[in-house]
Amino acid sequence: MTTNAPPSEATVQAFADMSAALTGFQSSFIRPFLDPVNLSGTFYEFAVAQVGQSMMDALMSAFATLSSQSPPISPQQIADSLLEVTSATPSNQAQLCQAIVSMWYLGSWYPPPFQTDGLQQVISSQAYTKSLVWNLAQAHPMGFSPFTFGYWSQAPASLETFGVNTGNGGGQ
Amino acid sequence: MSNGASPQYDVVIVGAGVSGNLIAKQLGVAGKKVLILEAGLAVPDSREEYMNNFYLALAKTPESPYPALAGRKGSQANPAGELPDPATLPTPRATVLGLGQAPNKSYLVQAQPTGQNAPPDPKTGEIRGLQFSSTYERNGGGTSWHWLGTSLRELENDIQLYTKYGHGVDWPLTYTELQSLWALAEKEIGVAASVVQQEPLDVVGLEYPPGYQYPMGPIPTSIVDQTVSGGVSGLQVPGTLPDTPGGSDPTMYDVFVTPTPAGRNSEPYDDRRVCAGNTNCIPICPIQAKWDPTVTLGKALDTGNVTVSYQSVAYNVDVRGQSVTGIDYYVWSRDDQGNLQKVSKSVTAKIYVLACHAIENAKLLLLSNNQKGIANTSDQVGRNLMDHPLYLSWALTDQPIWGYRGPLATAGIESLRDGEFRKYRASFRMEIGNEGWNFAVGDPYTTARDFITGTNDSNLNDGGPNGKPVRLGGTALALKLNNLLTRQFRIACMFDQSPLADNRVTLDVDPNTGKPNHTDGLGIPRPKVEYGMDPYTMEGFRMAAFVCSAIYKQMGATEFTRTSVGATGDFTYRGQNYHYYGAGHVVGTHRMGNDPYTSVVDASQRSHDLPNMWVVGSGSFPTVCTANPTLTLMALAFKSADSIIAALK
Repeated sequence: MTTNAPPSEATVQAFADMSAALTGFQSSFIRPFLDPVNLSGTFYEFAVAQVGQSMMDALMSAFATLSSQSPPISPQQIADSLLEVTSATPSNQAQLCQAIVSMWYLGSWYPPPFQTDGLQQVISSQAYTKSLVWNLAQAHPMGFSPFTFGYWSQAPASLETFGVNTGNGGGQ
Repeated sequence: MSNGASPQYDVVIVGAGVSGNLIAKQLGVAGKKVLILEAGLAVPDSREEYMNNFYLALAKTPESPYPALAGRKGSQANPAGELPDPATLPTPRATVLGLGQAPNKSYLVQAQPTGQNAPPDPKTGEIRGLQFSSTYERNGGGTSWHWLGTSLRELENDIQLYTKYGHGVDWPLTYTELQSLWALAEKEIGVAASVVQQEPLDVVGLEYPPGYQYPMGPIPTSIVDQTVSGGVSGLQVPGTLPDTPGGSDPTMYDVFVTPTPAGRNSEPYDDRRVCAGNTNCIPICPIQAKWDPTVTLGKALDTGNVTVSYQSVAYNVDVRGQSVTGIDYYVWSRDDQGNLQKVSKSVTAKIYVLACHAIENAKLLLLSNNQKGIANTSDQVGRNLMDHPLYLSWALTDQPIWGYRGPLATAGIESLRDGEFRKYRASFRMEIGNEGWNFAVGDPYTTARDFITGTNDSNLNDGGPNGKPVRLGGTALALKLNNLLTRQFRIACMFDQSPLADNRVTLDVDPNTGKPNHTDGLGIPRPKVEYGMDPYTMEGFRMAAFVCSAIYKQMGATEFTRTSVGATGDFTYRGQNYHYYGAGHVVGTHRMGNDPYTSVVDASQRSHDLPNMWVVGSGSFPTVCTANPTLTLMALAFKSADSIIAALK
């Protein structure tokens, strides 16, 4: 792999916007306005190092096309399209999207099937402690509770409070 | 070696875990000079290092925060990471990731069942050649870095199983004495519980002395607990199922939920924080709201009379006549190139305490005297190895109950722990989990990956009748996972397994040459474990599976239990397959008793054969009983400390 310069602000923002659509989370949870943790940048660079710049560029281009359609389509439709959810044989690009969702949800790199030399790994401590699947349990990463004594005897806050974008056409 | 000079210490203790640290503290307070030999690394100044190990571990197993880890990058062949060869490590230990592996990955040398179950022995009905599934740590603080915190007391009939039910053996202690010892341990640990909440358990013989109060109020129960408690209301189950071998107990027993006494803080205690519900008691509490042995070690060091020598592995106990005269140990280190170095040393004391875990205590006793063994007139050293073999069941409720929150477990079903059925089958307690299907299937990871990639490892993505697993994304994926994860829970049943002479720890040496087949990195022979189960224990599994299913049915929950994983840790009983896990409750390898011909130590854990040696810990338990062992093993350590102080006078 060649060493690339850090991605531009616009690239990171575009990756964050795509990640919000793919994960179903609000953009403010993926990339807050002030974001010293910067998982968007970390995940972008990590994925590029794993699958190569050209493949990432192609994915970002596909996302740009989908998100500038007129009339606009919903984030759910963008996710379904990029992930090719109805296809029995998702393309390599859709497999990369699965890996991106997995990074956000699980904090780990799960090598997509086409990456035969990939190694599964936890990307960083912060990738674990900010991993979003725990928000879907309306809970917290095991070993990283932001809550206080006795919270477990009461019902949790709403799923929206935990960052899920519940209103974009993905309901069932 | 003894050379006639006066001993260097009053007491040398091998192992800085629950028992060793408690005895060291008591002796230090009494002004006795103590050296602890700890095989593993020092307790770190901050647990951040261990937390970071945990965060970055691919498989968040009990051992994952602690040193000498598996590699952090998985491969297709080893998704959880490469395991180090125990032959290269100074203090290898049994690990979850090593289960079912050959000796180049597994420290314990043991049978490697293939998933094809052995038939029962025609005479005894025992199934032999099973895997021993429990693991332990070797580091400063010991295995109880990752105990759950469960601090239940044993029942009166637990310790008189033979007298009451004609099974197993009795303990050489009275319930009254244990009650006072438990109170000491509850104060040291800081147990959060309410006697009033425990009172319904008088149906199984749980009693407290009049006026007794726990050190602090109880831990609140979870919504999971509350849901199960309401759901089982009115449920009764029989003592035995039809066709139980040996007899029947048709009595109907009430099933009800009680909060679990816990060694975690409900209020600030001993300068430690209140529990914040990190849901991570195992493998590590991030804030030390849960007591662990390093708390007591700190108090021992504060006396000014206790010294710890880390990276010091005892390999021989010197005996002259009926006295221990010294302990030989290696101090290990790694040079600049990472090569393992060792220096052999000896230390003398008036009294010696072996406190380095049930399996390691047995190993050290058997290693000593040129591998002929010591303190073993009874031939019971290493025998009667027990665990709480664990049956796990899991289900989905029809409404959200929000697991993955709070301490790992806050309540259980203790009401089935005693009854006439103990003549015929193993009793068990039932622990209600607050961590969804994390233990059961590795969730939330497994279910999330199922719906991201279109697999069905969780059994939750079957696509309905005739359907195929689906793939989802965006909000649809988020809502699906929310719907499933918030309805998951599990129940773990832990059995009062029978003590069996053939379930044992021996040295992995060639019987003809005495040369080790497998060693650790210091050249010390490794423990070999043989394990099996008898029909009494397996009948307990049959009953537990029945009770779990009855609970789920009564609650309107849908059960997803897999009774076979087709790998190590399965057995077949009466045509039904069961999977068992280890509970880490390793018990019985130097059992206590009044008779020196049938037991290794007396009721104070003092060797029958060698009166200046104590062999302490859960290895002294004659039976594994129905409570998690840590509270009782600390209680026994209080008694040992008193007897050691008396002997030094």
